[in-house]
Amino acid sequence: MTQVTRAHADWDPMAQFVADPNDVRDPHAELARRRRELPVAIRPAGARIDGFEVYRYDDCASVLRDNETFSSESIRVSMADFMGKYPLVGMDEPVHRRLRSLVAQAFRQKTLAHFEDDLVVPVVDEMIDGFAARGQAELVREMTYRYPVQVIAVILGLPKDDYEQFHRWASAIISVAGRPMEGMQAAAELRAYLERVLEDRRANPHDDLITELATVELDGERLDDEEIFSFLQLLLPAGAETTYRATGNLLFGLLSNPAQLDALRADRSLLVAAVEEAIRWEPPLLITSRVAVRDAEVAGTAIPAGAQVIPNIGSANRDETRWDHAEEFDLFRESKPVISFGVGPHMCLGMHLARMEMRAAVNRLLDRCPNLRFDADAVERDDVHIHGETFRSPTMLPVLFDAA
Amino acid sequence: MLRIEIDATKCMGSGNCSFWASGTFDLGDDGVAFVKDPAGDPEDKVILAGQGCPTQAIAIWRDDERIV
Repeated sequence: MTQVTRAHADWDPMAQFVADPNDVRDPHAELARRRRELPVAIRPAGARIDGFEVYRYDDCASVLRDNETFSSESIRVSMADFMGKYPLVGMDEPVHRRLRSLVAQAFRQKTLAHFEDDLVVPVVDEMIDGFAARGQAELVREMTYRYPVQVIAVILGLPKDDYEQFHRWASAIISVAGRPMEGMQAAAELRAYLERVLEDRRANPHDDLITELATVELDGERLDDEEIFSFLQLLLPAGAETTYRATGNLLFGLLSNPAQLDALRADRSLLVAAVEEAIRWEPPLLITSRVAVRDAEVAGTAIPAGAQVIPNIGSANRDETRWDHAEEFDLFRESKPVISFGVGPHMCLGMHLARMEMRAAVNRLLDRCPNLRFDADAVERDDVHIHGETFRSPTMLPVLFDAA
Repeated sequence: MLRIEIDATKCMGSGNCSFWASGTFDLGDDGVAFVKDPAGDPEDKVILAGQGCPTQAIAIWRDDERIV
């Protein structure tokens, strides 16, 4: 933690965060080799998740679309201890569709339009207030890490006094793989807290997501309490960690390519393309998993029933049969769908929210921090880079700009 | 001129189509996508929206040839 940051926050939100312990700097060269030579491979012994890894875009998309052959149930089982009984990400049909339809209403682009101005931009602005006068900042600690958790707290309608506690739970929950006991304890505390909030909202409805989940109705169906808690608990790992990392990767891509950043500064309509390119180039989460419920075949490789199948999204997104100069960040490339949010029935429910958060963060930074650029000396001194094997994001984002 | 059909039983309301071609597609209150204007976007955007549909609920024809 830098001296400067300490003056602005007496609590370090990242202190509890357990990053991916493997400082894998560049998995992409090896992924490119596998895409060419062995499109499906059994993951090496010792890999955290065992199974058949899939590297090419079309093969990954086929696996994710075919949810009858490739089940998500294993995700539910692995998350059940800390994510409640019904995490959407780990449900199969027909239950998944019913649950998803109910919660989806809160995450549509139209609903989000009001979120952006009323809820998200004020969160961004408050963070920028913390460093705008200084002319320099470290954006991972001072912005991107806290930002999506704060957005979730605001959307849920939690009282401001509870934000810091909410951040602590969030950090512990998204670090559950590294520190399971702390993660599970935080999940239990969060659950107890949310039970009190839900009870209150049933008695005193607010204009917030918890009230909406408590009252939403579709074809006479409603969510029961257990389903609501499962969804709320999933929001943190699904919506906070991924968006924090994706926002960092977007900023890293832009700051390392000043000509593209200048173009974007001058023409903000390029932001939509910049976000798509960032999540293609360095998606925050590289892999997902399914289990074959019957014998299957992927790209000529036999997959026995019961085997785990792991589409490598990070590899699929750089498939050179789909994108030219796929290894480079280029927001001017011809746009086409990427697989960063998955595809198929489980395609990320929060993708419109995530994109909007990323756009809002960059937009306000460019508005309020003129001449925003990497602090080249700090980048070199601290060896700033994007790292990670499962999750990827920058180690730091030291920037300079004209002080307000 | 493209002809677009949406299979409501496959659509899961992701809003992916209206992200890629917002002039052409929209989501109804029932969470199912519909075509609001078949000529609402350039053809390449409409085709991308169709190809990107996560549940392959969108079919697109040009004349008599199915292209998505």
